[in-house]
Amino acid sequence: MLSRRSFLASLAAAVPLTVVVRRAHALAVAHLESDPATLEALAEAILPSELGRAGTLKVARELRDWGAKYRENAELVHGYGTSRLRATGPTPLTRWTKQLDDIEAQAQTAHQMRFRDLSVAQRADVVRAALQGQRLDRMPSVADANHVAVALLAHFYDSAAATDLCYGAQIGKQTCRPLSASSRKPLPMIKLRER
Amino acid sequence: MRRAVESDVCIIGSGISAAMVADRLARTTSAKIVVVEAGDETIPLPERAAQRERFLRYGENPWGRDHLDGYEVEGPLQSRSMQVGGLAMHWGGVTPRFSPEDFKHRSMFGVGTDWPISYDDLDPYYQEAEELMGVAGEQGPRELDQRSKPFPMPALPLTYNLELLKAWASKAGIAMWSQPSAKNSVAYRGRAQCCRNDTCSPVCPVGAKYSPDFTWNELRRANKLRLVPRTLVRKLVLDPSGKTISHAVAVDRDHPEQPVEFHAKLFVVAAGYTWSSHLLLLSAQTGAPNGVANASGLVGKYLTGHRNVGGFIELPVRLYPGMNEQHSLVTKQFMRPKPGSTFIRHDLRVWESATGRTPRLTDDGGALMLGDAILDDWRARTKTGTARVRAYYDVVPDRSSELTLDTARKNEWGDPLPKLAFRDAPESVALRAQTEDSIRALFADMAKAGDGKVLRTSVDNFQDHPAGGCRMGLDASASVVDSWGRTHDHENLFVVGAPTSVSGSCANATLTFCALSLRAAHEIEKGLPRRT
Repeated sequence: MLSRRSFLASLAAAVPLTVVVRRAHALAVAHLESDPATLEALAEAILPSELGRAGTLKVARELRDWGAKYRENAELVHGYGTSRLRATGPTPLTRWTKQLDDIEAQAQTAHQMRFRDLSVAQRADVVRAALQGQRLDRMPSVADANHVAVALLAHFYDSAAATDLCYGAQIGKQTCRPLSASSRKPLPMIKLRER
Repeated sequence: MRRAVESDVCIIGSGISAAMVADRLARTTSAKIVVVEAGDETIPLPERAAQRERFLRYGENPWGRDHLDGYEVEGPLQSRSMQVGGLAMHWGGVTPRFSPEDFKHRSMFGVGTDWPISYDDLDPYYQEAEELMGVAGEQGPRELDQRSKPFPMPALPLTYNLELLKAWASKAGIAMWSQPSAKNSVAYRGRAQCCRNDTCSPVCPVGAKYSPDFTWNELRRANKLRLVPRTLVRKLVLDPSGKTISHAVAVDRDHPEQPVEFHAKLFVVAAGYTWSSHLLLLSAQTGAPNGVANASGLVGKYLTGHRNVGGFIELPVRLYPGMNEQHSLVTKQFMRPKPGSTFIRHDLRVWESATGRTPRLTDDGGALMLGDAILDDWRARTKTGTARVRAYYDVVPDRSSELTLDTARKNEWGDPLPKLAFRDAPESVALRAQTEDSIRALFADMAKAGDGKVLRTSVDNFQDHPAGGCRMGLDASASVVDSWGRTHDHENLFVVGAPTSVSGSCANATLTFCALSLRAAHEIEKGLPRRT
């Protein structure tokens, strides 16, 4: 059976580039759908523990969905003061799947175990090694994240849920909310065990 | 073979100024109205929620293909967007009025040029525009915020954050109030109440923010006009006398091989600050060698707008960014200096902000954070808040602040594209540093009043709310149109909205463009059959 990389290489030799890119994206989507365990284990290692397992699985699922619905060369919102048009770049999914493969390989090399079977601390160490030397500071947008681990973080921390978790308040940014409620201090978050 | 379209009034462009004129004429006259738009139909309201979702997730343009290919223009074009509804499909919906001083710079401060109209002349048309669009606003202190009638809608409520920031501004001696906005604080004319989606610009998913498509949909449903999209007007043709416009020549983008002519008694150019002057210049012909309406040589000249100084101020108060982040406080306190004083004028707005308080990947020492560390770090940094402050200030335009035809760049039909250059008049050049220093000093004073500190300031060189190019005036040798928007050279040709502005004030200008357009419409309707 061909490895993913071999498959891509043979594909590239046989068909036009746009078709290769489209197929590579589809292949990456299928890869993440059929084997989400590494991404899920990654989410558990790098997202806040307050989310719990269900919460981290949800973020991983949302990121997969984000990736699956990504469109290359889509027109970006117009900037003011310029006539230059910009478009979305190549799919990040092919990069993400390779990085997940690399994480698995690193887990095998360092611990002779699958990434998902490592402790959270061990998994975090693998991620730190993978991000070594990368320029990191601000949280980028998901599309601009240069590593799947950063993309996961970016996806979560851009969400209304993350903001509410940080502030301990029901702000609900960028959601449809009653105008009349805006004058009062946002209500506190309700902890699960209090429900 | 040519195709001819006949009407009483031909409006060129379908942006917000065109919508104002069309709405007025459709209400008060029985004239046959045709509107010609180069761009496509816009995205319908029911599709905007999905489009917004993709904007939020991927940064995609929520308005589809809202541009013409090949229009890469030299100079600061405000936006490539070209569609039914124009730029106001993605405007922020912010609608302050100018102040009385805006119309009298020369007589009050000895700089720039007085308008041929006063604030009082424009007041009823401001009101008409506010009622047509639906503006939610709060009456500011009377001595700062003059108006003869109440806003049509109650103000958008101040959020918890803005209430705290208003109290802070008050400590700094600044009276601030809710920024007037064309956003529904209550359901209005069949459109929904605002529900704080936070994406007013570029897209309101519920229709609470006014955009011109609502006017076009209403007028088309009532069969009160015909709107012709995907049709680019390339030239206005004079009749043999040279005094009036005979017809407009256009290209139907779907059938470019078949030229279209629009014949009308009256022509209204409502194509914004760029495309209005551009069309007049493109229309050079025998009898008008420098373009139509251009005997003064001033078509395309005196482009105007306003620059801004912005900043972020850290305050020892906990804010909750995201409550209604595009809504702001405003004051006109610095727009109304005494006559004879130095011409330093600016508005001031204050917003909630998350700047400096967003999650990050590395700590202060540059070490990577993962897991709980990122959230813990974020929580620690959000115990205090940040205010965004910004002041638009006046720029007096120079004659050489101009739109010209760019012979090096042409569109696919062979017409030269416009070239834009904004330039300050010498008095503005002389005042620039002092103005910007004064604004930065104000920000520092505000920070001090709140026991906070200025995190950073910056100057945006882009002149926002660009206007001019067909400035109004009483003297035909020093202006392109009269105070009603009628061109001095051609009795049946009007230019309306942004291009007719003499100066750009120091506040968001779209409402003023609308008021000017409605004032023009009142003049235009005099020559048309009244609706019975």
